Amino acid sequence: MAANTGQGRGFTTFLVGFTVLCVGIAYLSTGFGKFLIAVGAVIFVASLFSFLKLKPLEGRPAQTATPAVMKATGAGLSLFGWILTLFGMHLVPSVGGRIVLSLVGIGVSLIGIVFVLPAAFNKNAIWKA
Amino acid sequence: MKLTRRYCSILSVLAFGLLLSVLAQAQASAPAAAAAATPPSAAELKDAAAKAPTTQQLQAGDPGGTITGTVNDVPVSDTKTGLTLGDTANQVGQNKIAINFVWTLITGFLVMFMQAGFALVEAGLTRVKNANHTYMMNFFVYGCGLLAYWLIGFAIQMGGAAGNANLGGLNSLSVEHPLTLFGKTWGIFGGAGMFLAGHTYDVGVMVIFLFEMVFMDTALTIVTGACAERWKFLTFAVSSVLMGAFTYPLYGNWAWGAGWLSQLGTNLGLGKGYCDFAGSGVVHAVGGITALAVCFLVGPRIGKYNRDGSSNAIIGHDVSAVLIGCFILAFGWFGFNPGSTLGASANGNLRIGSIAVNTMLAGCTGTFGAILYMWSLKGKPDMSMSGNGLLAGLVAITAPSGFVNTTGAAIIGLVAGVLVCISCWFVENVMKVDDPVGAISVHGTNGLWGVLSVGLLADGTSNYGGSWNGVTGSVTGLFYGDASQLAAQLVGISTLLGFVFTFSFVVNWALEVIIGHRVSAETEVAGLDIPEMGQLGYPEFVFREEPEVLRHAERAYAVA
Repeated sequence: MAANTGQGRGFTTFLVGFTVLCVGIAYLSTGFGKFLIAVGAVIFVASLFSFLKLKPLEGRPAQTATPAVMKATGAGLSLFGWILTLFGMHLVPSVGGRIVLSLVGIGVSLIGIVFVLPAAFNKNAIWKA
Repeated sequence: MKLTRRYCSILSVLAFGLLLSVLAQAQASAPAAAAAATPPSAAELKDAAAKAPTTQQLQAGDPGGTITGTVNDVPVSDTKTGLTLGDTANQVGQNKIAINFVWTLITGFLVMFMQAGFALVEAGLTRVKNANHTYMMNFFVYGCGLLAYWLIGFAIQMGGAAGNANLGGLNSLSVEHPLTLFGKTWGIFGGAGMFLAGHTYDVGVMVIFLFEMVFMDTALTIVTGACAERWKFLTFAVSSVLMGAFTYPLYGNWAWGAGWLSQLGTNLGLGKGYCDFAGSGVVHAVGGITALAVCFLVGPRIGKYNRDGSSNAIIGHDVSAVLIGCFILAFGWFGFNPGSTLGASANGNLRIGSIAVNTMLAGCTGTFGAILYMWSLKGKPDMSMSGNGLLAGLVAITAPSGFVNTTGAAIIGLVAGVLVCISCWFVENVMKVDDPVGAISVHGTNGLWGVLSVGLLADGTSNYGGSWNGVTGSVTGLFYGDASQLAAQLVGISTLLGFVFTFSFVVNWALEVIIGHRVSAETEVAGLDIPEMGQLGYPEFVFREEPEVLRHAERAYAVA
């Protein structure tokens, strides 16, 4: 179906909702601010529902289903590497130790990004069919 | 045999780099001693006013420019008292801030112009049937990013960044939300500056907003290149708004807005904290890593890979656009790096000359690295890799530009030029991620290399007001004696890979579920110009039939 009026209206609603939400956050300490957050959130969620409704109207993309657990594992490993670095620098006092732990953290993140996620996305890749 | 030749080429490049590093060590600094000066007395000021050119003299014109701009041009606070020492000092102070405002604004304007460079490079590297769509993404990302940044992004990033002496203090940006962990307080996100209203309706804040905004937009536009030729315009727009509002500002706060990465020096004694002078990490790696996250979700273009996993080259439509775009970007980089001093006057800002030369040199050696690598190994100095080599050198020097000497800059650029070629091959053939313009390698890989290089090659001669990130002294890397700076840089890299990637991946995964990132196979095969934009980029062009492999793909994927 490609770009259409529904998408245009949906995106406009999304921007209006997001703007109202931000105004509410800016004036969070006031009652009016809290009211605006509620209004903004409603409009924002409504825009997401409109996107969801429009999605099936788009034709079939050149994609196949990919294993969600494997994707989550890849992303999780990437996050875990960062947490390892983050806590490692508090647990180890020496500079050398912190460098080593950071490298380990980076390595773990890279395993998730460079090996696990590509394996997940390429498992049922459409070009293999 | 091929493998041996490849190793020989890499070894020659590394040997050349080693030679340059020896030269780098030899470069010595010689800071000049500041001369003491006696302030003028009130009598001397009155005398200077008496000797100033008269109205008659000025009416006669000043072709030589010798009598325009005198003591009479200094505003006086009280006309009865006349010019005082206080008036003169105030004018000197305002002149300093004015110079810095003008410098920061003009360099910001240069960075804004880089959007045109990105548009040309990205559109030139894609097929003619997607030209309008690619140009439009580059055009619209500017508005999406700016709006999101004005609404909330700027407040998250810079809302707690008070204390910049170059721009008059920026004292209204004083709300940083902290988190206490292991007995230390860490900045997490800012809070002042939403809509630039209230106390942040301030001349200095406006200047820093403009400058930071164009940086943020650079990061956003990196993603459009990597996902070109199959990214749904609606999803691109929503994704860009969210990136400008949250992803970029969060990391920007941690590095530049008084956030926890910048506090690694004061809290844990790691060098001068995480140092990223102009944004190899904050701008380029964030853009490149987000591009990788979205590229995973959007998938490779139809026809990019064969059944056996081998890849097909999908050639772009306009070499001239690509190379002109690269030059525009290189020009804009003179705003990116020297502008990041946020001033030209005082606080060691005269280092802008060195920063500009470092920028030039790294771009040059980056081009050489890529051309020589491709020429030696593939037989031709590949056009797109040459352009990417220039950009890779510029990306890599962005973080260290304010801290390294010219030899260091040349090494950083050279490594970047080779690295971008290897990374492009790896991303395409090992990870099977389709990146039509090489944005992941240019900005992601080399952004990380730039961040790392600060920890290795910062020479300890820069002095921006005597301290960096609140730690007295100059930023010094491992090769110049400070291993702790390398540790801080590694924490930054880990954060980019672990937090920024995961955050971008999760946000865009949610968008995949709600909207869907990819256009239909039918739209993709027809080209995105008509279905997504309503008109062709080049309506009077006669399209040439595409190669067999792509027509085969059309038959395989087209939806009835």
